[in-house]
Amino acid sequence: MTEPDAAPPLSYEAATARLEEIIKRLDSGDAGLRETLELCREGRTLVELCAAELEAVGRGLEELRLDELVARLQAGAGAAG
Amino acid sequence: MPEPEIRPAGIDGSELPGPYAVGRYAAGLREFLRERPRVQLFGEIWNLRLSRAKVYLELRDADGALPCSMWRTDFDALGLGAGVLCDGAQIVVGGGLDYYTGTRTSSPSFSFAIAELRVAGEGDLLAQLDRLRKTLDAAGLFAPQKRLRRPALPRTIGVVTGEGGKARDDVLAGLRRRGWQGRLVWAFAPVQDRHAAPRITAALQDLAATGEVDVIVVARGGGSLADLFCFCDETLCRTVALLGVPVIASVGHHTDRTLIDDVAALSCSTPTHAAESAVPVHCTDARADVIGLARRLDVHGRRALLHRAQTLSRLARAPGEHVAGERRRLHQRLREIRAAGRRRIVADERARTARRALVLDRKAAAAGRDARGATRLSALALALAAHDPERTLERGYALVTDGAGELVTSAAAARRASDVRLRFADAAVDATIRADDDRA
Repeated sequence: MTEPDAAPPLSYEAATARLEEIIKRLDSGDAGLRETLELCREGRTLVELCAAELEAVGRGLEELRLDELVARLQAGAGAAG
Repeated sequence: MPEPEIRPAGIDGSELPGPYAVGRYAAGLREFLRERPRVQLFGEIWNLRLSRAKVYLELRDADGALPCSMWRTDFDALGLGAGVLCDGAQIVVGGGLDYYTGTRTSSPSFSFAIAELRVAGEGDLLAQLDRLRKTLDAAGLFAPQKRLRRPALPRTIGVVTGEGGKARDDVLAGLRRRGWQGRLVWAFAPVQDRHAAPRITAALQDLAATGEVDVIVVARGGGSLADLFCFCDETLCRTVALLGVPVIASVGHHTDRTLIDDVAALSCSTPTHAAESAVPVHCTDARADVIGLARRLDVHGRRALLHRAQTLSRLARAPGEHVAGERRRLHQRLREIRAAGRRRIVADERARTARRALVLDRKAAAAGRDARGATRLSALALALAAHDPERTLERGYALVTDGAGELVTSAAAARRASDVRLRFADAAVDATIRADDDRA
């Protein structure tokens, strides 16, 4: 028995698009109590994802040469191996 | 006058003629070459060197090369601007073979003596470009890069550009404008001359092979079409087209259009614009937007929780209120039942008294007493009823009897009896007289 493949990580643009949908639905006032709470829970997860993506490109510019990146990757692969 | 050479003996056993003096032989060679047909040649210029009397260069193509020379006066007469005959520029030359015989103190040299020279114009390059563009388009190589997903917020951006060029600063400026501070991988390569295309191709392949780069920017500032021609290299363009990472090209100015612009995912007019396109999201604005979305979610969430709490509270109160209502109703019924019981007892007593009076009336009538007597009897009956102990009891008095049921009418009798029964209107209770209770 094989396990189903894990869903690919949501991209930033997909997460923000889904967030906009959720806010629109909540603003409409048509969502019931249970749906509202579920949408809020999903929305908070998406907000955390977007915040993490923004945090990853907000910690300060890191410049490196291609050969430095290759050496770092090889070192990482060597350590892993 | 040079002294005549003394001819040495030849090589023993050799069947070749001579030996001849080299200078004369060289002069003969020069004459032989000069007699070759004069022609036009085309190729790329390389290693142009200017001396006081002559100009030296190499004419090259993929199959071979030829050293060339030209009188400086003829070269200057062409009036070519500085930089026109840069390495790699296509030229057409007319002339013939020549040979400088050299001297005892100077080296000989062979060259193609240029008498006429024309720089192959951009029209030639454009025609070549057009042919290659059609070839790539027919092979469907303009589409694959356009189909790749370009992330809105890349974490790692690769940049292929010249190490000392202004394009590098422009890329950084574009990224600053976006507020982007991720990882930037520089793959420096020459961006002009015949070595550029293979190096740029290798840089692109290496960047993609890391698997770490989300998008690649290829940037170069402006220049002539000849300068930018390395970005029209067929191998480079085929590599870009089939690369798995989206490539954003910014080569030359907006009027220039190289083939990499056609095969890339996106073509931008400046390196700054290319950098901004690599990060479609303005990071600073996006942070504010996410905070705003989070607040709106919180408002909706709190409102929903409050609503749920109110609903639960209302539901929790309902059973208690129902029980309290039932309790109140039961108490009311109980009070009504007790009151009805008391009313029934009183009514029964009155009915009993009335029946006794009626019996007395009948007895009096049967005795045949006269009317006055009867009246008196009635009055006596009424008086009797008025003195009925039961009526007295109803007013709050009590009858005291001893163990034999005899009335106890004094304190002394009560002490003697010790145990007595107190009869009230509703019921009787037993009581014990304490020995020390001698109060009047």
